[in-house]
Amino acid sequence: MMSKNEESINIKQSPFIRKLSIVFMFLGVLTLLGSFLLEDSQKTAASYLVPFVYFLFLSLGALFFLSVQYVTGAVWSVNLRRMMESMTAYLPLSVLLLVPLVYYGQYLYEWFHPSHVENDPILMGKTAYLNVPFFLIRLAVFFAGWLFFYKKFIKLSHSQDKDGQLQWMEKLTRYSVGFLLFFALSFSFLSVDLLMSLDAHWFSTIFGVYTFAGAFQSALAGMILLTIYMIPRSKGRITKDHLHDLGKFLMGITLFWAYIAFSQYMLIWYANLPEETTFFIPRSKEPWMWVSIALIVFKFAVPFICLLPRWVKRNYVAVSVMSILILIMQYVDIYWLVYPSVSEEVLRWDLLDLGFFIGFLGLFLYSIFKFFSKYPALPLKDPMEQKSTDHHVTY
Amino acid sequence: MRERMKNILHILSRDSAPPKEVIVAFFEDESSFLKAAREAKGIKDLDAITPYPVHGLEQILNIKRSWIPWVTFIFGLIGLSAGLALTYYTSVVSWPLIIGGKPFFSLPAFIPVMFECTVLFSALASVAALFYACDLPRVNPPILDKDLTSHKFALYCPAEQNSETEVRQIFEQLGVEKVLTGSF
Repeated sequence: MMSKNEESINIKQSPFIRKLSIVFMFLGVLTLLGSFLLEDSQKTAASYLVPFVYFLFLSLGALFFLSVQYVTGAVWSVNLRRMMESMTAYLPLSVLLLVPLVYYGQYLYEWFHPSHVENDPILMGKTAYLNVPFFLIRLAVFFAGWLFFYKKFIKLSHSQDKDGQLQWMEKLTRYSVGFLLFFALSFSFLSVDLLMSLDAHWFSTIFGVYTFAGAFQSALAGMILLTIYMIPRSKGRITKDHLHDLGKFLMGITLFWAYIAFSQYMLIWYANLPEETTFFIPRSKEPWMWVSIALIVFKFAVPFICLLPRWVKRNYVAVSVMSILILIMQYVDIYWLVYPSVSEEVLRWDLLDLGFFIGFLGLFLYSIFKFFSKYPALPLKDPMEQKSTDHHVTY
Repeated sequence: MRERMKNILHILSRDSAPPKEVIVAFFEDESSFLKAAREAKGIKDLDAITPYPVHGLEQILNIKRSWIPWVTFIFGLIGLSAGLALTYYTSVVSWPLIIGGKPFFSLPAFIPVMFECTVLFSALASVAALFYACDLPRVNPPILDKDLTSHKFALYCPAEQNSETEVRQIFEQLGVEKVLTGSF
């Protein structure tokens, strides 16, 4: 048995994906350079913000899921650990992408301009939090924290690959508890900073949970796609049973997202306070109303009902279709959060959005496969490895 | 008094059906039990008793999926409609009141009630279906061996469909020491 455990599985970075991701990144850089020629800086800024938030949430969602596995001592997911880790490999690269975001901040956020804020009593009351220096400090603290925990998770998990000692697990559990506390606060504040403050007059106390639900949902969908890619390559150590459990998670979190989204909507609708309804008024008018309805149908109703039967969660095609649908709808969701707050009237999605999205996608894919070419695709000496391989889902 | 209580419980419970005659093989550990279950071909309606859920057993014994999830699903749908009917009847038909300037039929306000009714109906129906499927509640159920609820495993088959000598032979070939007949 020992020899089987020690045999490492390396996913060779396929030259096609490598080339594709480099071409995508190149297109992204081209879009960024080309966007400086355009006059509508606000549109450019919004086009940049949407994929930035999308991929940051995707990898933070994976980091969250990874730490939850350590904290709960989950055994079934041990063989999936590297996949969660690979999705977080994007985090260190995303620091660079903060630079354009901070630059674009002036076009996105009203509170970047002290002259605007001065004449507005409501915004004046929020200056203690919404000001540029504190915003930069918060971003620095959040990213430093996430990178710290990311480095620890990767380093400790690979130390265990070498000697299989249990002490690494114990350390990882302790760091995971710390990370979950840090994540709960930092993620909520990040959502407030980047998304909620686009409409600085508006506030919703459940907003952080709403964005978290979407981030977790999309991270699970991404993980399911990676799992399907890995099953034939894992020599039987990742099975349909793992996929089945990820599918159950996806279904549960889909319901959770709808629950949170509805909780936010219903309280605002019921109380009908002018300072709260400003968020939903543009989103319940044409053309945004159609996007709102699409979110209910395709981010909740369709995936929820389709993921109910057992066979769907065990069928590669069916579960991939659902995961891709959720990944698309997560993009639509962030688009829906950003655009109506930036420009209310028209629904715009053009080459600029596509170019930025492709650029980010390229970087994300590149970081995943870079990770796999560097590290073995399965944990080697985890004491729970065999138990995870034997994982079996009862009816 | 005690006897009378027992009699009442007997009438309430579904013990009236006489227990079936069965042939039982006992096992001390999970691996020999699973091995025997896998290799005991040719026995009709083979079933098992285990102290805890054993993974993979349902495939080995060809046990079909439970029908209880369908009860959950259907009663969930009934609960959803019941919640809508309740809120519609009370706030639109029977006693319409203007609340916060909202229309009488305000679906967002009804959704929490509909959701809770869905959960309530499906949960209660699932428990009821489980009780029905497992012949619960049962007083004085036939006991093959008390240890089957703590650490022993058993494979059993109805004596009617199988010839006892054949079954004993199969189990003996598999190295089972203890084969008994009993009623269950």
